[in-house]
Order: sequence, then C-alpha cells, then structure tokens
Amino acid sequence: MPTLIIDDREITVKPGTTIMEAARSLGIEIPHFCYHPSLSIAGNCRMCMVEVEKMPKPVISCAMPVNDGMVVRTNSEMVVKARRGVMEFLLINHPLDCPVCDQGGECKLQDYAVKYGPDRSRFQDKKRTVPNYDLGPVIETEMNRCIHCTRCIRFSTEVAGVEEMGAIFRGDHMKVGPCPGHGPLTSVLAGNLAELCPVGALNLKPFHFQARGWELSKTEGICEHCAVGCHIRVDSMENRIYRIMSRQCSSINLDWLCDKGRFAFEGMTEGRLQVPMMVPESGGPQVEVTWNQALDRVAALIQGVAPEEVAGLAGSWGQGGEELYAFQDFLRHVVGTPHLDHRLLRKDFSPDSIPLLRADLMLNTPLQDMERADAVFLIGAGPRFEMPLLNLRLRKASLNGASVWSLGPRHLLSKLENLEEAIVLPGEEADFLRKVLNAMTTRRGPKAAVAWANALRKAQRPVFLLGRFAVNHPNAETLRRLVLAVLGKAEAVEPGWNGYNRMISGNGAGAHDLGVVPQRGPGYTKLGRRGMNAREIFEQSALGKIKVLFLMGLDMESDTVVEYLAAAAQAGTKIIFQGAFHSAAVDKVDVVLPGLVHGEKFSTLTNCEGRVQRSGRVVHGPIMAKEDWRILRALSQRFPQELPYDNLQELWEAMGREDRHYDPAVVDSGEIPKACDHGVGLTEGLECGAEVDAEENETDRLVLILEPSFYRDTPMSRRSSTMTKLDGVEVLRISGKEAKKHKIVAGDRVCIECNGHRVEVRTVVDERVKGGVLLGTREAMRELGGEKDGFLQVTLKVL
Amino acid sequence: MNQSAPVQIVFKNIHKSDSHTLPVYLEGGGYKTLAKVLALTPEAVIEEVKKSGIRGRGGAGFPTGIKWSFIPRNSPKPKYLVCNADEGEPGTCKDRDILRYDPHLLIEGMIISAFAVGSERGYIYIRGEFNLESRRVEQAIEEAYAKGYLGDNILGKGVRFDLAVHLGAGAYVCGEETALLESLEGKKGQPRVKPPFPANVGLWGGPTVINNVETLASIPGIMEAGGAWYAGLGVEKSSGTKIFSVSGHVNRPGNHEVEMGISLRALLEEYAGGVRGGWDNLKGVIPGGSSSPILTREACETVKMDYDSIARAGSMLGSGAVIVLDKSVCVVRALARISRFYRHESCGQCTPCREGTGWMAQIVTRIEAGGGRAGDIELLEELCGNISGKTICALGDAAAMPVAGAIRAFREEFVYHVEHGRCMVE
Ligand SMILES: Cc1cc2nc3c(=O)[nH]c(=O)nc-3n(C[C@H](O)[C@H](O)[C@H](O)COP(=O)(O)O)c2cc1C
Ligand code: SF4
Ligand code: SF4
Ligand code: FES
Repeated sequence: MPTLIIDDREITVKPGTTIMEAARSLGIEIPHFCYHPSLSIAGNCRMCMVEVEKMPKPVISCAMPVNDGMVVRTNSEMVVKARRGVMEFLLINHPLDCPVCDQGGECKLQDYAVKYGPDRSRFQDKKRTVPNYDLGPVIETEMNRCIHCTRCIRFSTEVAGVEEMGAIFRGDHMKVGPCPGHGPLTSVLAGNLAELCPVGALNLKPFHFQARGWELSKTEGICEHCAVGCHIRVDSMENRIYRIMSRQCSSINLDWLCDKGRFAFEGMTEGRLQVPMMVPESGGPQVEVTWNQALDRVAALIQGVAPEEVAGLAGSWGQGGEELYAFQDFLRHVVGTPHLDHRLLRKDFSPDSIPLLRADLMLNTPLQDMERADAVFLIGAGPRFEMPLLNLRLRKASLNGASVWSLGPRHLLSKLENLEEAIVLPGEEADFLRKVLNAMTTRRGPKAAVAWANALRKAQRPVFLLGRFAVNHPNAETLRRLVLAVLGKAEAVEPGWNGYNRMISGNGAGAHDLGVVPQRGPGYTKLGRRGMNAREIFEQSALGKIKVLFLMGLDMESDTVVEYLAAAAQAGTKIIFQGAFHSAAVDKVDVVLPGLVHGEKFSTLTNCEGRVQRSGRVVHGPIMAKEDWRILRALSQRFPQELPYDNLQELWEAMGREDRHYDPAVVDSGEIPKACDHGVGLTEGLECGAEVDAEENETDRLVLILEPSFYRDTPMSRRSSTMTKLDGVEVLRISGKEAKKHKIVAGDRVCIECNGHRVEVRTVVDERVKGGVLLGTREAMRELGGEKDGFLQVTLKVL
Repeated sequence: MNQSAPVQIVFKNIHKSDSHTLPVYLEGGGYKTLAKVLALTPEAVIEEVKKSGIRGRGGAGFPTGIKWSFIPRNSPKPKYLVCNADEGEPGTCKDRDILRYDPHLLIEGMIISAFAVGSERGYIYIRGEFNLESRRVEQAIEEAYAKGYLGDNILGKGVRFDLAVHLGAGAYVCGEETALLESLEGKKGQPRVKPPFPANVGLWGGPTVINNVETLASIPGIMEAGGAWYAGLGVEKSSGTKIFSVSGHVNRPGNHEVEMGISLRALLEEYAGGVRGGWDNLKGVIPGGSSSPILTREACETVKMDYDSIARAGSMLGSGAVIVLDKSVCVVRALARISRFYRHESCGQCTPCREGTGWMAQIVTRIEAGGGRAGDIELLEELCGNISGKTICALGDAAAMPVAGAIRAFREEFVYHVEHGRCMVE
C-alpha cells in the first residue's frame, strides 16, 4: 500500500488510486472539469494539475496513479500558475453570458473562474461561435459555452450505451454535439447530460429560464416512478417543484436518474381531484360535497351491506406504505372484510395458496452486485424500460463480459452487449425453460436450450430476472418455479450468490410487505382465511356479489380497470374512489375522495431490493385534498373500531411493529437500509412443471402483446408535458413474415379487431418480432380492452 | 568526415534503379542479416541495438534499445510492432524516400525488430497522401510473403510475423504515437493520456513498440555490422548516421544521409549546395522540423548536427528537417504560417493546445498583418509557457516552441511589426 504526502499530510491508499482520489479522501478538493467518478478518465481539461516532487512538469491528478513516497502539492506556485493558464484558455472563447445562463450559480466554470482564474481576459481576437442542436425535449443546448470536457460523450457511450453524442472536427473548431446522423436523443437517461455538463452548454429544456438555482429549496427524496427507488433531490420554490435532480447513492442509482424520474412530476398538478364529490341520493352526476358528507356516505354504503360484500383494491404505483398499511388495516379491522388486493394486472394467482414470501417476490441479487453477474437471463423482462437504472447495472455486467440471454415474445431494446434472444410465442416460455432444465443434465435438446444450459453450467454468478411480462403471465407461477429449478441446478440460490430475481413495479414491494394482498397480513403473517384476489374481486363486483368496492390510488385510465369497473357499475355495485387524478372513469363512481401524490405527503417506499426508504413533503397539494392515510383514519371514526394512530409517528410505529423493515428507528436512522434483507428463504421443495397449460399452437393465431409506454404508464407521467413529447409515435410492430402474409408494407395503416373493439394504427415491419405476434403500445390500443383473460387474440385488416 | 565516401546505412540502395524491388534488394545482400539474426536470441538483438546507441529518428530521440527492453516478455495479450510512417512534420521528407525506394529495408528492419520484442503482428501506418509509397510497400510486403520472409514460418525458423499497411487520413496529430494507435484501432485520432505507455498498454491494449521508419530501416545495418561499429559513427550520445531533409533557401535541397555531429555549415555547404546568395545571405535555420525553435545565423556558424549540440544552441534535432531561411524572409510571416499549421492540426482534445494554438495563431497573424498591439509579444511568450508541458501530447509543445524560439531569436522583428504595423524586411 503506497504512502504519499499531499500538502504536507500523509496518507496510505490502495495501489492504483489516483492522486485526485487520494486527495479527496484527505478532504482536499482538486478543481476539475472532465473528471467524473462514474466515467472513464479523459484527462483533457487539464484543470486538475498538481505538482509532484521530482517531476519537472505538472501532472494531471485525475489520471496519475500514486506512488509510494510521492510528495504532492496541490497549491504550489507552479500549480496556481498552471491553473490560471487553463482558466484563461477556457474562457477566451466562452460567451461569458452568465446573466442569461441557466447554469449560473451552479456552474463549475463560474466558480473556478472566481476562485482560480485571472480577473480579466487578455483575449482581444475573434471568438468562436458554434451552432446549437435540437437534442429533443429534454436537453437545451448553448454550445458556445461548451468546454469540450467530453463528459456528455463518455456518458452516452459508456453508461447509456447509445453513441449519440460525439465531437467532430479538430482543434478549436472541434464541435461537441449529436453524432452525424443523430438528432434528438433516444436515451431514457438523457437528462443526466444536463447534470453532467459542468457548464451551461447542456441544460434541462423544461427548466430553461424557469428559475435560478440559488432560489430553489432543495429537499432530499426518493423517486416513486419505479421500484429501483433512486435517490433524488427535489428543487422547489413557492409551492411548486421546478426540477428533480439525481442524488448520489452508490448502491442504488450511482449518480444518475432516468428521464421519467426527472420529468414525470410535471404531471402532478394536471387534472387533479380538488374536492370530495358524490352522486346525490337521488342519482345523477356527481356534485361537490364537504368531507363530512362524503365520508358519511362512504360509511353508510359500507355499513349498508355485510362486511363480506365489501372489497378493496389499491394501486401500487405512487402509493406510500402509510396509506397501503392503513388501507388493509381499515378493510380488515374496521370493515371486517378479507377481500383486498393490489395485483390488478396479475393473471395467475395460484401461488396464493402457498403463499409466496418476501424473497420470492423481489430481487435477491442486490443492484450493486448485478454488475458482477457473469451470465444474465431475462425472462419476459425488458429492463431498460421497466427499471432503467437496473438496466445500467446489467449493462455494466455485459460490458465486463457477462453473456445476456433473453426469453420472451419480442426482441429487447436494452443496450446490452453479448445478447442472445430466444423469441417464443406467448405461452411457450415454460416449455423452453423445461428444455433448458433438461439440457442441464442431458446436454441435449434444441440448440438454444442447450446454449442456455451451457452458459448456466459455466456461470459462477448467474442472474435470472423475471420481468413484468413473466410476472403477469397466465403461467407466471410455472415460469417462476422453473426458474427456481434451473437456478437450483446451477447452485445459484445460495447465501453467497442468490441469482433469483423477480422484478416488481411501483411500490408493489411495499404493498406485499404491508399486507395489501388477500393471502397474507402485514409482515407476511399468516391469516385465518384467505380473501378474494384482485381478479375475483373484479369478477364478483361485475356479478354484483361484491356490493361496495373501495378503490385507492388505482390507475383509473388502465384499460383493464376501466372495463371491469364499467361492468361492476352495471351490476349496481357502489364504487368509492380515493385518489389524486381525474378521469372519465372517476366521473362514474359514487364517491370521490381527493388524496395527495408523492411529494405532497410523507411516503414510505420499498424498492425492488426490499429497502424501505422515506420521502418527505415538498409542496402542498390541492387545498381540499387530504393525506391518504388520514382520509382512512377519519373514515374509521364512523365505525365502532377506529384506526389506532393519530399521527405519522404512531402510524410508522404501527408499521414497524408489523414488519421490522419499517421500524422508524431503522428507516429514519439516516443509513441506507440493507438490500435484499429478506430473512426467510425462498419457498422450497416445490414440484414444478406438472401443471403447465401451454397454449394451443394454432396456425393462424395472432397474439397482440401490449406493452406499457415507458414514458406514459402512470397517471402522473401521462399528464407530464415532457413525457408526452418523448413518447414515440404509436405503432404496431409486425414480423416480415406476417406482413407478407397480410400483404402489409411498412407504414401501412391497419385495423386490429378484438372482442368487437377495433383500433387503427400504423405498422412497422420489425424482423425481430416473432411471426404470430404483434407488438403494440398500451396507450394506442386502449380501446381494445384489457388483457384480463390472458393474451389478446386479434385479427388484422389492411386499410 | 569525408564527402566522397559518406557511410550509407539507410540510403545504401536508394540510388540503384528499381531499388524498391526484391531482386535488386537481394542483390545488395538483402535479407541476409535477417537470416543471421534469427539464429540469435531476442535478448541478444536488443543488446546489440542498445550497444549501437541509436536514438529514435521520429523526433523525440528516445534510445531505441531501451524502448524495446520496456516490452514485457510474458504478456497475456499479443504484442505489436508499429512503424510510424505518418511523416507529417513540415520540412520532413526522409521516410518517404525509404518507403518508395527501399521498402524491403524497412520490412527487414521490422522483422528483426519484431523478433527482438517478441511481436507477431506489425502495422505500417502510412501518411494518407503517400499513394505511390503505400503501393510500393504493399507490393514489397507481398513479395516478402511469397519468399517466406513474412508469415507463419519465416525462413523456416518457426518465427512468425505478419505485416500490414494502414493508410492515415491526413491528420498530422496521427503521427503522435498514441493518436496513431487510436487511428489504427479505427477511432478518431486523438492522443491518449499517459501513463499507461504503449509499451504496457498499446494497440488493442497489448504491449506495443512504435518506431519511426528511419529508425527501423537502420536496424539491418546495425545488426549486419554490429552495434559497436554503429556506435563508432557520429558522436557520443548521437551515434550513427542521420538523414537530414534540407529545404528552403539552399541551392540543392534534398535528403542527405550523413554522420551525426556534422556541422550545420558543412551540411549546407557541402551537401546542399550552399545557401542561396551565399552564406552571408543566411537569416536563420529551423534545424529539426517546423516545431523546433529557429537558430540565428550566429548560432548556425558553429552548431553541430547532433542531439546535444543543437539542444545547447537552444533548439532540437527533431526529425532532422533542416529549413533554411535567407534574408528575404520575414520571420513573423514564417511564424504565422507555422502557427496556423499547428492551430489547424491540434486535435482539440486538451484545453491549452486547443485554445492556445488558436489564440497564438490569431495574435501572430494579426501582428504580421500590421494589427499588433503593445503587450502582444509578452502575451505570446506567456501563452507558450501556459501550453508547454501542460498538454496530453507534445503537439502543444510543438506549437509553442517555434513561437517562443522566433521571439527569442528575432524579437526586434516582432517589435518592429507591432510598432510600425509593417515588416522590416520588405
Ligand atoms: C504531434 C506529433 C507528431 C508526430 N509525428 C510523427 C511522425 O510523423 N512520424 C514519426 O515517426 N514520429 C512522429 N512523432 C513522434 C512519435 O510520437 C514517436 O515519438 C515516434 O514515432 C517514435 O519512434 P522513434 O522512437 O523511432 O522516433 C510525432 C510526435 C508528435 C507529438
Ligand atoms: S457539452 Fe458540456 S459535457 Fe459535453 S463536452 Fe461540452 S462542456 Fe463537456
Ligand atoms: S496537445 Fe493538442 S494535439 Fe495533443 S492531445 Fe492536446 S489538443 Fe490534442
Ligand atoms: S480533471 Fe484531470 S484533466 Fe480534467
């Protein structure tokens, strides 16, 4: 271990450490532009020069590894002079337009110019001007300010995996911008460019000219848009959020944030429910009422039927642990019904009889360790869009040489290296996995299955990811068990390396932990009696057997939900909706209770690794809307048994008593909770594979697979103007073979029909789509109705 | 030194007709040294080259034997030998003659060098404009393969070496060895940050030796007659012969292979036909390519053409391109041209060079055009200081040195330009 002296202070560091890093651990900050801890070293800005004894020239500390006995000075005369020279050079061609630059006040160039630069410029010649580029809705450019540090280029190629940014020309004509042939950025991580850029060349377009950095209050928070749970900083002023920035967390999101996490918040003020509403006793459209009137009506509706005739459904996206816990507590103990669930899109509920435990439901390989995987197997998973920040870890693994294997109905757009895809018809996944399992012992079978088996046999640290498609698959449990069996055979469900991972959406992990399922109570406690699951609740409501349906935080624009609710209303079921956003379906319910969204309340979010994190309030919601758990608390006062918590602290303590992960002493300790600390092991000893009902392989079956649009899959993101701009044109992807059969040319408009509903879309011929499969986005195909009974079988007509 | 019989090591075949063809090369004893060398150990070859004292002819003058000994013997990655035939330094035109008139000498030199460092794969990175040269080299490579001098089993000795030509695309900076490697890898030609040095992490991450054409073409001669013999040529610390490309205001410009340590005056008068208008008409000499500081006539009187003497006179031997300027030349104007070249050729990667070369070129051009301001000259001197030694590669130094050198040697011309807004020469 080399020992060196930096500014008269001694330090011993690991071999290979750079001078910059060594200085950092001594608390000495060396000024730098191009160096970034999460990117490769470029060494081009020359700002970080230091003096090293016995070296004639200054050296760049960001690239120079330490040596034993080195004597470094970060502030000697040589260094001061060198830095001043660099600062002068950087400013000669800079427009010096700080007063109109968004970066002002949070600009490295500005700060260092003041601290290290000369007080005036000696440059009296012609300044360079460079054109700006249209990089899409996320990034605003002012390239005259660019200092050519190449951070944006390195980020795009190394981290995002899209070679979109580059530098053309040489010398002082060098221009940084989109690579020739590229325009608007396609990365889902584009916003990071603005954060990375040390100057005002790349800024956030939606934030352009909105506010000054120093005017904004900065609040630490957790992102609610997917189950990665990225650390964020929310910048606000006068009760309005202006922007969301990433907050460094090496074990979760590193230094990054995806564009949804950054901009979906724009939708939080659009189309909000402002006041309680209800349908008058006499019928007709909803009218505004007071909270007391609304809550009295809800209580009366519930008390008017038997407890067993009441059921509750909660959304998982955007719902904090507070309201989720209070929701199940209210239904189970105040109302007295066992019927509640949050798994609205689930099709296979068969494991509810086991039932699954925490380790079965979430990741078991911490995000950080995913980078170390040497083989990655994606089962119906599209990690780039399901969890962009998890995909980054997989990308790192693939760059380190891991092979990536994907099983699903479509090709991935995942920016992963070494990717092999097994595209199979929906319903044939289990069959494929069974062949893999078989090939692991016999080394025989179809080529693809043998390749998987070989890769598994070789892998020391395999990772399996069950994605959204697999989790909501009609054969979900079979797939899950097969994955377990395969991993078991590969000896990769061990304490040292557990490669079993199931992806989870929204705060689904919190909903499971806190018992918003019919088969388990909070903390996975056993229940005397299992209630109805989401599917049964929907069906029984449509039959009028469930007479009062209490909905909290559901996506009231989800095709599946809307369809079921219409049927329930038809059957006379009374529907209560507690939530934040207005929609056509909300207009049709009996009582509307306006709640708050993330950022307007305290919410406890559980990420895909089971880490419980708390996010605070930044702004106030609509004046009349209320914190969701308080609505339930107030409602419970109208029942004999009240919810036993009067304030957040008491609620948090109650949650902590049910599940140790939620103990406020742990959650609020300031430490980042442990990843994948699931305690109990995976469900073991399961026979698998017996009950697969593989779908018939009819010859001219066309299966439509609907994928949520990454940018618009939640009520809030759908209302965000930046997300709307980013959302691609709605298309239908079809294989060349299928296109030929139906005489479709790329770009043709076609009509898809299903169960009497029809939509028209434009087609794209995509050779990587399997014959027999059509790929569409949920947003465009809304009118076809939900996939409640499995995959949608459709017919296709050219217009 | 005797003009009638100068020792010719690199140019020994160059005057023969069809010297670029294999038969002519063989006739002159070609590939005999290779056969001799393959009987030695690689270590012995490196020892011999060390003994010769030969220093790199590409510009930096680093001792070649020592450079080779940095290559790790056991490397899990393949080792590469790369010949730098980018010859971009203005004034330099010696490598070109080797390439087009004696490609086999270079190839033989490369095979021997590759054997010494344990490389089985080599590249010749040829300047993009060298059309005839690259065709000749490729033809020679083909001939060498056909005769078994290249390939899997060289001369039946079980030694393997494959060689290929790669054409540059016209960037001067690609002559810088790490930019050259990037370009060879198919990337934008931008120098790499060092350390790591190419000897450890070079082409495709493997240990790599990069040598100039002339350096490699000297190797067969060294191995034929011995390192000690070579070391006996020239002077101490500058052994052997060197090709000087003499250009500018001389009566007979051209390439001349002479022993190191020859006086500049002898080189100009005995080989290059003398300065145009006589020695007294000499204004100054840029002795080692456009990046080397200009020498005044006084300095030219006595300076010897070896690394140390030129350095003592305040300049450098560089690539051996001797640019002669007579009294008709305006130094400011000459410098403006040179500065514009470096501005144009800076890769743009690092701050001092990207911004500094452009700034310097603008100031010098402005002074030359009569727009000089008080303080410009001092500013130029400071800018040189702010660039030199603070960049990723030596192009920054190459741009600063001629500016600092010209001001040092001919300050009064700059002052005149600034004060009078015109040139004192015309
Ligand atoms: C800007 C720049 C341009 C260079 N151009 C050349 C060149 O054209 N040819 C060359 O042989 N060396 C050139 N060099 C020197 C090489 O970097 C390197 O030192 C040389 O090829 C090593 O070979 P040698 O040791 O045989 O001289 C250049 C260096 C710099 C900094
Ligand atoms: S745009 Fe910003 S990040 Fe990109 S090279 Fe320029 S200064 Fe650096
Ligand atoms: S010194 Fe000039 S040529 Fe060399 S890396 Fe820096 S910018 Fe490029
Ligand atoms: S931070 Fe070291 S050179 Fe830019």
